[in-house]
Order: sequence, then C-alpha cells, then structure tokens
Amino acid sequence: MARKKRKVDMPPADLPMTPMIDVVFQLLIYFLVTIHPVDVVTHLDVFRPSPEAKKDKPDTPPKMIRVTIFSDGFSINERPVDLAELDKLLVKLAGIDKTQTILIMATALSPHEKLVQVLDMCAKSGLVNLSVVSMN
Amino acid sequence: MGKRATLEDAAMNMTPMIDVVFQLIIFFITTADMENKALDTKVRMAMAPHGPVVQKKDPRTIVVDVSSKGRISIANAYMSPAVLKSILKKAVGEYGQTTPVVIRGDGKTTHQDIKAVMDACSAAGLWKVKFAALKEKA
Repeated sequence: MARKKRKVDMPPADLPMTPMIDVVFQLLIYFLVTIHPVDVVTHLDVFRPSPEAKKDKPDTPPKMIRVTIFSDGFSINERPVDLAELDKLLVKLAGIDKTQTILIMATALSPHEKLVQVLDMCAKSGLVNLSVVSMN
Repeated sequence: MGKRATLEDAAMNMTPMIDVVFQLIIFFITTADMENKALDTKVRMAMAPHGPVVQKKDPRTIVVDVSSKGRISIANAYMSPAVLKSILKKAVGEYGQTTPVVIRGDGKTTHQDIKAVMDACSAAGLWKVKFAALKEKA
C-alpha cells in the first residue's frame, strides 16, 4: 500500500529523463560545433544601359552624375574624390532628387569591391536609378 | 491497478514521439542549408553594410559566381561567357525578361570579369542585374 502511494505521488519518475537529457545535450553540442552562422546577404540592383542608350552616350547632358571607379580611386564628374567625400556628395545629391540616374563607370582593372562600395553608398543615400557601364 | 496502468502507458508513449521529433529536427537542420551548397564557397564577397535586406526570394533567380580569378560558375559548374550567354538566353525564353540574375563576385575580382557576365546578361536581354554583397559578416 505504501509503495503504491509513492508511485501515485511522483508519476514522472516512470519516464527516465536522464538518458534523454544526455542525448539532447549531445545533439546541442554537436550542432553548436558544426553549424556556422550564415552571413547576411544583400542584393544591390543596378541597370545595364541598353545598346541604344550606349549609342546616345556622347550626347549625355553634363548634368548627369558620373561616378568613375579606377583601380586606385574614384572620381565624380571628372573630379577625383575619396570614399568619404563621394559619400558626402551622394548624400547631398540624394537630398535633391533620389530618382536621378547615377552613371557608374568602372574601369576594366578596378576591383569589384570598389564597385560594391559605391553601390552601397548609393543604397545608403537612397538613390535607386543606378546604371553601371564599363570602360576600358 | 487500473490507474497505474494508464500512468505507465502515458510514460511509454512519450518515447516514440521524442524519437520522431528528434528525427524531424535533424532532418530540417541538415536540409536547411542545402541551397547554399550550390554556391561557390571560395567567393569572398565585398561588404555593403547599407544594402537592402533580401526579402522575398524569386524561385527563378540565377546566381552567377565569379571567383577572384575571374572564373564564371553557376552551382559550381564552371563555364565560359559564351555558354553563360546561351544559358541565360534559354532562361529568358522560359521565364521571361524579368528573370533575376544575381552576380556573386569576389571582392578582388577585376571589373572586366564582372563585365563579361554583365555583357552575357545584356546579350540575353536582361538589363537588370543584382550584385550580391555581404551586409553582415557572421
């Protein structure tokens, strides 16, 4: 009678928790060690001017903003600038009109990193119409 | 006696359920990063901390990897720009001109190699391309 009462008092003792917790800890440690966190990826949208637009390029009005990327620096409308200055100018331009087209010209030997930096700055300022053209 | 039997039954029924739950957890954890397996792991993308977060994923998206040496690949299959062009043309024929193309270029890749991919996109009629970059490094 006394034995039966004990059983009713603590029913969870029937289920052995210890091996289950052991296994759960093993799994937890295994996944903590093996899973590496995924990088947060962003997608930067750009337009590629169509061949017709390319033909018109010499007639481009000078008011269009041209950012040129060289392998060793940047220039905006033929004026050499560094990254911080370019950022400042783009923020200022975005304050006037966010939908204006920014023509980004990249030279053949410039690293892709620099193009991404410029696109990132445009994304930061909220400029959306970005055209990427390549130069030789 | 009858009460004890029901208690024991309840305890016994937990085990298969926990087994199945573990199996499901392991299954989902191992399959969750399957889509990343198709990417070139050697590509070290440039940082773009201000870029917009990728919200919805278009199932048509074509991810083109460009290694630091300028080699073009889709899902670890290396190809020449001419082959890429024909693949993109086929994709445009099948899914239309709005097919999203994501260029996953290494930060050290020179622009001329990226240009080769963009030219292939233009030749296939895709004027809008995206550059993948890292928003946050884990």
